[in-house]
Amino acid sequence: MKHWNEEELLDFYYGESDTQAAIGEHLRECHECSQSYAALTTDLFAIRPSSTPFRDAQYGAEVWQSIRGPLPAYEAPQKARFSWLRLHPWSGFAMAAVCLLVIAAAFFAGRQWEHRSAPSVAANGSGDQGRERVVLVVLGDHLDRSERLLVELKHAEPSNEAPLQAEARDLLSTNRLYRESVKQAGDPALTTALDHLERVLIEVSNEPAGLSQARLDEFQKEMNTDGLLFEVRVLRSRVQGDVEKKESTTATRKGVYL
Amino acid sequence: MRCMEVHDHAIIRAVLAGDKEAYGTLVARHSQNVFRVAFRITGDEADADEVVQEAFLRGYQRLESFESRAEFGTWIYRITVNCALTMISKRKVEATYQIGEETDPSQQQVQVADTSAGPERTLLSREIESLQAAAMEGLTATERTAFVLRHMEDRSTTEIAAALAIAPNAAKQAVFRAVQKLRRSLAPLRVSP
Repeated sequence: MKHWNEEELLDFYYGESDTQAAIGEHLRECHECSQSYAALTTDLFAIRPSSTPFRDAQYGAEVWQSIRGPLPAYEAPQKARFSWLRLHPWSGFAMAAVCLLVIAAAFFAGRQWEHRSAPSVAANGSGDQGRERVVLVVLGDHLDRSERLLVELKHAEPSNEAPLQAEARDLLSTNRLYRESVKQAGDPALTTALDHLERVLIEVSNEPAGLSQARLDEFQKEMNTDGLLFEVRVLRSRVQGDVEKKESTTATRKGVYL
Repeated sequence: MRCMEVHDHAIIRAVLAGDKEAYGTLVARHSQNVFRVAFRITGDEADADEVVQEAFLRGYQRLESFESRAEFGTWIYRITVNCALTMISKRKVEATYQIGEETDPSQQQVQVADTSAGPERTLLSREIESLQAAAMEGLTATERTAFVLRHMEDRSTTEIAAALAIAPNAAKQAVFRAVQKLRRSLAPLRVSP
């Protein structure tokens, strides 16, 4: 037969044992444990709280008077802008959750935006860059052809053939387009040069027959084709430099986006 | 009881809103209970008065931390227990050696003072009371407080643990050790069959 120790009997005495029923039944059957429990209860019963000294109804007021002096009054809470957060104990948690949701939504939206916009930016960038590069290449080609025409014009010999007129007419139409485009783009040096070139091309293309030596000399003098040739060479060199610059930039950007 | 607690909460709101004097109502309402537990733990009337003042003072200072879900009576009760525990911890050594004419420092046994010249019955009663008081003084502060709360205030182990800020098992062990010590101290009073 298992006997209960003092600690277990104490728990039983205070009604906090997990085995109240089992101990009670055991105490009815076991004389030894019953005697131990009786001794415990006798001792505990003897330990009575001594009578508490009397304190009258004024005691509380006296205590309050003894401590109230140095106590500072609480300041009335100001109506804070976010006082509605205190409506409910869970409001703070709810607000924290909402803030987290907003932050998370903003984060994912940002990521989606980045994923969607990055290729388009790259595409737009590369598209603009490509378009600009094509324009520069074509313009360079136009200046190259114009340069050759001016060189031929400079070294031209009197002839009844009119190969220069045909080339001038061909260049004239494209030169107008380039001049307008460059003018809108705001490049005054190139615009002036193309304007000058256009006037030369008009004169050459409008010559009725082959160019005589006198006409060629007059032409070169009036139109300053030597000066124009220099300008076209400079511009062609500049445009070529721009083309190479655009190519290198595009290559770098492609490296970034890839 | 519930209405009183709701009213306590209203008073607390008033105090926190700047009505300092409203706290006096709470003091008046709960001071008797606070004094009782303070006296039972300290065993000294003057100490109990001091504990009452200290408890209500701390209660006022910490009123902003009072949670509306709790009951002010329970809250101030716990503060009182802590104040009383601090009090007897500070004065334990002095109180231990205060009672006896002669003491044995090695065993810290206390001889009960015989200050009465009354009839034998009264003398015996006072002797029992003094022996019990001496036995209580032989407990540690935690043991004494835990035992008072369990045996005299009829508080559960869970409540004792919460009041003393210790684990429930530690609270139960403190009560058990206190009972063992008290039984040994009071053994001479047992009447042999």
